Amino acid sequence: MLSKDALREIEAARAEEDSPRHALLTALRVTQGERRQVGPEEITYIADLLGLSPALVQGVARFYDQISATPTGQHVLSLCRGISCYLCGADEVAAAVGELLEIRPGETTADGRFTLRLVECVGDCDRAPAAMVDDRFVGPVAAVAIDNLTKM
Amino acid sequence: MAQYLTRNALDPAQRELQTALRAGAYLGFKQALSLPPQEVVAEIDASGLRGRGGAGFPTGRKWSFIHAKEGQTVYLLCNADESEPGTFKDHYLIERDPHLVLEGVAIGAYAIGAHRAYIYMRGEYASLAETLAAALREAMAADIIGPNCMNSGYDLRITIQLGAGAYICGEETGLIQSLEGRRAYPRVRPPFPAVHGFLQEPTVVNNVETLACAARIMAEGAEAFKDHGTGRSAGTKLISVSGAVERPGVYEVELGYPLMEFLQGEAGGIRGGRGLKAIIPGGTSVPVLTAEEAAPLTIDYESMQSAGTMLGSGGMIVFGDDTSMPQALLRIAEFYAHESCGECTPCREGTGWMAWVLRRLLAGEGRPGDLGLLLRVGDNIEGRTICGLGDASVQPVRSFIRKFRPEFEALLPEPVQAVAWQSHGHGPRTGRFGPPAEEATRSEAVDGPPTAAL
Repeated sequence: MLSKDALREIEAARAEEDSPRHALLTALRVTQGERRQVGPEEITYIADLLGLSPALVQGVARFYDQISATPTGQHVLSLCRGISCYLCGADEVAAAVGELLEIRPGETTADGRFTLRLVECVGDCDRAPAAMVDDRFVGPVAAVAIDNLTKM
Repeated sequence: MAQYLTRNALDPAQRELQTALRAGAYLGFKQALSLPPQEVVAEIDASGLRGRGGAGFPTGRKWSFIHAKEGQTVYLLCNADESEPGTFKDHYLIERDPHLVLEGVAIGAYAIGAHRAYIYMRGEYASLAETLAAALREAMAADIIGPNCMNSGYDLRITIQLGAGAYICGEETGLIQSLEGRRAYPRVRPPFPAVHGFLQEPTVVNNVETLACAARIMAEGAEAFKDHGTGRSAGTKLISVSGAVERPGVYEVELGYPLMEFLQGEAGGIRGGRGLKAIIPGGTSVPVLTAEEAAPLTIDYESMQSAGTMLGSGGMIVFGDDTSMPQALLRIAEFYAHESCGECTPCREGTGWMAWVLRRLLAGEGRPGDLGLLLRVGDNIEGRTICGLGDASVQPVRSFIRKFRPEFEALLPEPVQAVAWQSHGHGPRTGRFGPPAEEATRSEAVDGPPTAAL
């Protein structure tokens, strides 16, 4: 299910501590990165890999916003809805981006390229309205032409 | 603008070890390694350094709580989960001076007798984790960090761990739980992390900026640190200012620096030449200040405390006079409702209700008792939860309503209409104008609890 590199990363986390649970956070992140979701199949797989119960893995997976129960698009476009971004016009940006992509927050474009997310403060408030394409900070969105975002 | 912590941060080449070394990187660590650990703790204690993550607890004292028994593994955890809305100072430090951060981690670990350290970073900072990991690889290749650090006989292993998106992981016991591979449900204290922390071992959790300060202090001495700032607020502070200002960004200021001077100077004044309406000085978890309240204050722990608020994380959020405070409060309340981890009932339910009631007020569906209801929900959260998130969620609600009450009252149904209703023979306790707050809570719960709508 996972590439050799991904398995190596999980193994490295596991070697850090004498507790198989400790590697779970890394396993969830790595799996999300490769599979674009941590659904039932992935949960069973991780549970087997780390020797944990699937219920436990699921309980932890569903706690974190960046771990998705259903597949995301090829890229995740996260628009910050934090208070500082709100004060800099984030609501208008979110509406414009939604219109451009013809989807609502939480949805994925028909071609599967983008999942749009509204997220809480991402800690990039000096570039408000802040946005991220996957792990990259791309704000301020008003300055980046909005349709540029979708070409990244 | 002070230049103590950030003096090298403007140089992009600072990320490379050779440049950083020329600017004095790791001299503090070297100095620390030449001393017994308890003297390092004493030096930090003497500097008066207080935690820069939000709570302002004396760092030297926190370190002195570690008394490891034979066979125990001590851990230093660097909290780089920076998630307090309006705070992005650690982002700045890690991005621009990663070696200063690593040096601070190394010093903290040495001081408390830890050979293992983790830097826990929020998942959104994955790109910064790469910067930090590259710096760590360089420092390890140069034998500065690793087995036998700088030929001192001291071994240290630092691991960078990324989170996966949850504000509560910045709470120290939440961070520990997350690092252990659990839901980040905060733990009941006592026992404190110094006794039972990560994997039940003695643990210290320090913020990024705190540890960076420790690096400077060890390099230049406690006295040089105290040359900055005021008596009980020693040193400088990174202020991340955002919102309605011309020049949002991270600025280092002397503690004790006048707030208005900062706002007009460094921050460039209010955007578009507008007037100032309000300031949240230290992240959304601290009470808001009106423009009048903020005017005489200085940026330090005591001055903020005297005005009933806190310096917190230094995440300063500025509101221009065109801001709707109820709208802004709703945004903040929604944040807490979303980020409440769900462990404690008062916070899980209460944060949802506060957002729900604010939403209906703003939708023109407010009820006469709604402001009292909001404050009462807050009273029932505060002091009744395991961690500080619940308390934090109440501060903005209470302070916004108290200080900008007319704006909230304007959202309530007009009493004149209520009289008209009565004259038509409707009972005063029905419909929009009817039920007192307690009943409103119950009837609303039947309509659909706020959690279902979030």
